[in-house]
Amino acid sequence: MFLLLLMSLASWAETMPTDEKVVGIFYMTPLFGHVHQSSSRTSASLTTVQCAHPIKVIESSKVLVAPEWAYVHVADYKGFILKSFLSEKRPNCFQGKYPKFFDSLNLDLAELYYWGRLYDHFLQGETRVH
Amino acid sequence: MIISYKVKLAFTSWILVTASLTFSQTTKLQEEKELEVVNFSSIQKVLKKDGLSQSAELKKKQVSVMKTEQQNLDKARYNYPTEDELWGMATDYWLIKNAQLLGWDFEKPDYGIEGSFKGVLENLGFYQKKFKILLINTSAIVRAGFPGADGEIIFLLSLPFIRSLDLSKLEISLLLLEDYLRYEAGYFKKAVRTEKLGKLAGTSFYGEKNVDLSLVEELVKNYSTQVERKGFNFQQQFETTKKMDTFLKSHPELWNVYYRLIGKIQNFLKSNHQYKDYIKLYPSPEMQLKWLSPEEKAL
Repeated sequence: MFLLLLMSLASWAETMPTDEKVVGIFYMTPLFGHVHQSSSRTSASLTTVQCAHPIKVIESSKVLVAPEWAYVHVADYKGFILKSFLSEKRPNCFQGKYPKFFDSLNLDLAELYYWGRLYDHFLQGETRVH
Repeated sequence: MIISYKVKLAFTSWILVTASLTFSQTTKLQEEKELEVVNFSSIQKVLKKDGLSQSAELKKKQVSVMKTEQQNLDKARYNYPTEDELWGMATDYWLIKNAQLLGWDFEKPDYGIEGSFKGVLENLGFYQKKFKILLINTSAIVRAGFPGADGEIIFLLSLPFIRSLDLSKLEISLLLLEDYLRYEAGYFKKAVRTEKLGKLAGTSFYGEKNVDLSLVEELVKNYSTQVERKGFNFQQQFETTKKMDTFLKSHPELWNVYYRLIGKIQNFLKSNHQYKDYIKLYPSPEMQLKWLSPEEKAL
């Protein structure tokens, strides 16, 4: 009887819709960035996004997210981006300000990938205002 | 047969004329089109009386202003970045172009270097300073300080170097402080700066065939030369060491750590040929120790 109840509960959980909810739409602030597979700076990249790209930040009780990371939904991917890379306002991006100059750099895919990775690897700091 | 051909020809030319008129209209602003719809000359007197001609004049001016603004926006798309923006962009670009050589895309433990360096800067009174540190997995380049975007400074630091020397967080912070003072003295920018940077930064290449990419290429090439071969001269090293001496004098514990650190580097370099170029780029720990040592007074 107990086993039967357990099985029915399990099947009910599988058919239940996920409890994901949208927190808001934010914008990517660095020139390039990655949507990561897990909330770690060196985790694999799911996709690369450009500055000012809209990012849907979501929440789910099934996904544990470290405090400095945001759980996001971009195109077909669900992954993680550092919160410090997201802004509520659309940023004034370098490639938006100087589109012709930036296009002329003709970055290849590897360079785009590395440009996004670069910002993940920077250790950042700022001294306080006196 | 001929009549039907003529009819077809006339119809085709009518379509072409209509299409070209439509095309020419699509390039016009909505306000311009509105102006064309009304033929003011036939009803000029009535319009004058009603003050409508004035409003038409106003509209004309508005259209002209909007057109100029649109042209300016189009031209702005062909601007070179400003000098500050170019420095930040060139640093990122150099780091990306040399990603494999520098080996910065690797997993590293959290050493807490940024927190320690921030503490040292604040302790010495350097406020509102933004910095980024990039640990690199190579011994080919040991350290550097570059201009970043928005007034930031980007530090490069070799992880194999700090591991081989078994440096503490405080010692690493003092190395970074040296690089910070060198950067603030403007040695790097002075060594790397090109004529083109001053000439083209912030200007427009609107109407020119191509963007002059040698602006970035020359700059990036100079970055490599400076970091890999040129380094700093004795005078610059003397000035940096003396500045360190002055800043750290009021913090004897930091001064002692710095003095021991230079000694540590000197001994390490003697037995490690892997870092033989370090002395050429940063001359020289031996001299630095002399400059730091209190002068002996003759009795």
